[in-house]
Amino acid sequence: MSEDEVEDLELHRRVAAGDRAAFDHLYQRYGPAAYGLALRITAQENLAQEVVQDAFLALWRAPEAFDPARGAFRSFFLSLVHHRAVDAVRREERLRRRTERASNLEPVRGEDVAEDVVEAAYLGVRRKEVRAALEVLPPEQRQVIELAYFGGHTQTAIAEILRIPVGTVKTRTLAAMRKMRRVMSPGE
Amino acid sequence: MELDHERIEELLAGYALLSLDGEDAVEADRLLAEHVPTCLRCRQTLAGFQELAGDIGLTPAPALPPDLLLPRIHRGIDAVPVTQRSRRGAYFAVAASVAALVAMGGISFTMANRASRAETRTQTALEIVNALRSPNVTPVTLDAQGTTDDASSFLEVDTPDVRTLYLVADACPQPAPGMAYQVWLGANGSFVPYGEMFRPDELGRVLFEGEVDVAHYDEIWITEEPIGSQPTEPNAESAHQWRATLDGADEASAAA
Repeated sequence: MSEDEVEDLELHRRVAAGDRAAFDHLYQRYGPAAYGLALRITAQENLAQEVVQDAFLALWRAPEAFDPARGAFRSFFLSLVHHRAVDAVRREERLRRRTERASNLEPVRGEDVAEDVVEAAYLGVRRKEVRAALEVLPPEQRQVIELAYFGGHTQTAIAEILRIPVGTVKTRTLAAMRKMRRVMSPGE
Repeated sequence: MELDHERIEELLAGYALLSLDGEDAVEADRLLAEHVPTCLRCRQTLAGFQELAGDIGLTPAPALPPDLLLPRIHRGIDAVPVTQRSRRGAYFAVAASVAALVAMGGISFTMANRASRAETRTQTALEIVNALRSPNVTPVTLDAQGTTDDASSFLEVDTPDVRTLYLVADACPQPAPGMAYQVWLGANGSFVPYGEMFRPDELGRVLFEGEVDVAHYDEIWITEEPIGSQPTEPNAESAHQWRATLDGADEASAAA
């Protein structure tokens, strides 16, 4: 476990004890990543702000939802943001209207941190690792991951968008997830 | 067995990406309830996929949230949800009392799929109370059906963040000898049994906990079934039963 992950755990422990300063510290640490993710999925500033607000309020109100035994805080919290963002776009039935745009999602390559965003160095390092893992995927595998994750589409919807069998979507999804894990955790 | 795990891992990958729907979502929930907790390989695979799914969230460029967002969150923290508290007062009292009993070990409870957490009774109590505090969590009352005593309603609380379902009751009648209660989750009129059968304690108290994403379902039903049986559909003729409509099945409708 890295020093940054240990610091995350300590901040989370303090948040669970009601420490507002620790909460603000986590916000400064993960707010930009959370907002960037929510913006990417919802494609709407107001909705993205609601998603981030809900995620941080959920963290404050139910900090015990994070179980350190199940992985890093970073991964837990971004999953929380992802879940809420996907729920938000599905709930508002914007999926159909977003289909055309989502099927032409911009590539992750070349997205750089805006100059006014100050972010912990380790998040930048991890971001490069994840992007690199995505980039080694064959295009057809990367496409199903991006449609599912950032497009918020179900596998059935992805099959319709790409005009391929659902079984092919499932196969590509599993192959992509396995390959990314191997690239990011070569020792496992 | 290898072939089975290939199929299971396909489902776990889709589950981690929130991209399952229809029968796949139901099958995944069943696996998460019945197989995954008992299979080290599947637990490790799921943990790895979920960690990866979280990290994929890092790939978009970070963006500076508006300056007003943190103050808004602070106001959310400070806000006292008076109306929500009053509306939830009765629910909170029931759940808190049962949760307190759980925490003290005064009641046995059914864990649909979290057997490894049997020691965390206090944690369960806190989870329920915290869930009820959340403005995003709306408890649902399962109303008694037919001749079942109206005073015996169940309270359903689900937490979308951690995909946990709780069922709480403090006046549940004893099922007939040889019978127990079975939870059913329904989507578009089709029901699947969820978790193990249960019976209330001698005072009629029940706390049922399971990991499931209820967003996939639009109905919940509790029926009385023969102990040891493997029912495939709810016993609509059971002497005691409770039922409620959920807000779920949104994925199915969104995909339609």
